[in-house]
Amino acid sequence: MSNKLERTGVIREFDVKTPRVKAGIAFIYLACAVIVVISLYPLVWAFLSGFKTYTEFMTTGAFLPENFDLAQYVTTWKELKFTKNYLNSLWSVAGSVVCALVFNGVLAYGLSILKPKGYKLVLALVMISLLIPATTSLVPLFFNITRIGLVIPTFSEFFWPLWLATGAMPFFVVLFKQFFDDFPKSIIEASRIDGCGSLQVFYRIVMPMSKPICVVVAIYAINGAWSDFLLPYLILRGSPWETVMVQLFTYQQASHVNEIVILRAVVFAVIPPILLFLAFQKQLTQNLVSSGIKG
Amino acid sequence: MQHSKRYWAVKSHTMSWLIILPSVVLFGFFMWAPLLESIRMSFSEVRGAEYVRFLWFDNYISVFNDPDFGFAMRNNLMYAFWSLVLGFVIPIIMAMLIGEAARGRSFLRTAAYFPNIMPGLAAIMLWQFFFTASKNGVLNSIVSAFGGEPKEWLTPELVIPVIIVIMTWKGAGATMLIYMAGLAGINPELYEAATIDGAGVLRRIRHITLPALFNLANTLLILQVIAVFQIMYEPMVLGRGVPEDSISLMQLVWKYAFQSSGFENGKAAAVSVLISVLLIVFTLLYRKLSTRSNDWS
Repeated sequence: MSNKLERTGVIREFDVKTPRVKAGIAFIYLACAVIVVISLYPLVWAFLSGFKTYTEFMTTGAFLPENFDLAQYVTTWKELKFTKNYLNSLWSVAGSVVCALVFNGVLAYGLSILKPKGYKLVLALVMISLLIPATTSLVPLFFNITRIGLVIPTFSEFFWPLWLATGAMPFFVVLFKQFFDDFPKSIIEASRIDGCGSLQVFYRIVMPMSKPICVVVAIYAINGAWSDFLLPYLILRGSPWETVMVQLFTYQQASHVNEIVILRAVVFAVIPPILLFLAFQKQLTQNLVSSGIKG
Repeated sequence: MQHSKRYWAVKSHTMSWLIILPSVVLFGFFMWAPLLESIRMSFSEVRGAEYVRFLWFDNYISVFNDPDFGFAMRNNLMYAFWSLVLGFVIPIIMAMLIGEAARGRSFLRTAAYFPNIMPGLAAIMLWQFFFTASKNGVLNSIVSAFGGEPKEWLTPELVIPVIIVIMTWKGAGATMLIYMAGLAGINPELYEAATIDGAGVLRRIRHITLPALFNLANTLLILQVIAVFQIMYEPMVLGRGVPEDSISLMQLVWKYAFQSSGFENGKAAAVSVLISVLLIVFTLLYRKLSTRSNDWS
C-alpha cells in the first residue's frame, strides 16, 4: 500500500507543521473513533447479549456472554416461528421489488423518453408527491383499500396492497428518470428503425442497459419492504402472512414475551438488511452521494 | 403510405399513454387519491367504510377541544426543536470531521452510515434496552461501572430528547454523506488562496466551508422538519402511554383511526390535514425568509 495521504479537507499538507494543527488532527481522529464506537456499539452489544440466558441477561451487565451458546438463538428462532416470519417477509420483499422496478421504471420511461402529449402534468404530480409527507395519507389509504376490498376481496388481502404500493414511489421514479435522461437517444432510434415497439424498447433495450440504477432501486425496495410496518401492520395483522416487522411490533406490545427473547427477535430482524448492506455498500453510499450532488 | 403523419403521431401518443397508464393508476390510488380523500374525510362523518354525511368543521372543532391535541401539538414542536438542536448540527460536524481524516475515510464513512440500514422499528426497540430504568439497562450498567447511581432515563422531561437522540443515531449517517458530497464539491484552490492571504484553519472553515454548505443545509433543514413532524412509532414504542409526555400528532391520528372505539376517522383525517397545512406553511415561510436573508448577506 502506498503511504501517500491526500488531505482534501480544510487542513492541507502545508498546515501539518505546527504542533497546534498536529494536536487538532489527533483530536479529529479521536472524535472519528468516538463516532465509529457510537455507530456500531448498540448492534455489537445486541449480537453478544443474544447469547446470554435470561437470568444472565437480567442479573449481570457484562459485555460478553458467559459462553457463546448458539442454542439460545435457536430456541428463540423456533419459539417465535421465525422461519415462517422470514418467508412471509421474503414474499413481501420479492413482490415489492418486481412492482418497484416495473411500474416506476415504466413511468419514468414514459416521462423521460416517450414524453407523450401532456406528460408534464403527470411529472408535476409525481414531483409534488415527492414533497408530501406520506404517512399523513395513511388513514384514507387504508380506508380506500378496505372499500375496494369489499368489492374485490383479493385486493385487500395477502400482499397485494403492499406490493402495488411500492409500484407508486415518487423517489424511485425520480431515480429512474435521472438515469434515463442521460440515455443515448441514438440507441433508441436505432432499435425503433429495427421495428421495436415502445414497450419492446423498454424491456429489450432500456432496462437491460440500466442495470446500475435497477440495482439501486431494488436495494431500496428490498430494504423498504423489509423495514416497513405501518401499512403491513394494518393489512396483515391477524392473517397468516404477518411479516417480521409486524411480528416484532406484536411482541413489543405483548406482555408474555420476555426481554431477551425480544432482543433476539430484533437481532433476527436486522440480519438481512445488514447482509444486504455489506454486499452492496458501495452502490448504496455512492448513489446517495451522487443524488445529493444533483439535488 | 395510407395514413398521414398526424395519424401516426396521435397513435404513438396513445400507445405511450397506454404503456404508462397502469403506473399512473397506481400513483393515483396510492398517492393522489388519499390526499383528496383526506380533505373530504376531514369534513365528513365516517362510519366504518362509509361516508354518512357532510359535517363542515365539526371534526376540526372536536379535535381542537381534545386536550390530547394540545399535548400533541406542543410535543411535535418539542420534537422539531430537539431535532434541530441535535439532528441538524451533528451530521455537519460528522461530515467535517470525517472529511478531515486522511486515513481510513471510507471505513469511517461506512461505519457512520451503518445504523441507517436498520429498520426503524428494530432500532427503537434495540435502544429501548439502553434506556431501561432498572440496573441492567445498558446505560445504567455503564453508569454503575463508573460508580454512578442507576437513573431513570425515560422521564417526562427526557423522553422527547431521548427519542430524537435515537433518530439522530439512525439517520445522521445518511445526511452526513450528503454533506460530504457538498464538501467534496468545494474548489480546493479557494483554501489555497485563503491560506496565501493568511487565513488559519478556523477562518477557512468560517469563511469558505460553512458558506459552501449553506444552501444544502437549508434544504436539508426543511426535509428534516417535514420528517420529524411525521414521527409516530418511536413514541408508540418508547412513550409510557401518558399523552402529555410524548404523544405526537401522527400518533394522535393513529389513535383516532385505529385505537378508538367510536368512528373517529374524520377526526384522524382532520389532524392529517392540519399537519400537511402546517408543513406547507412552514416550507413556504422558511423559503421566503431564507432567500431574503440570503439577499442581505
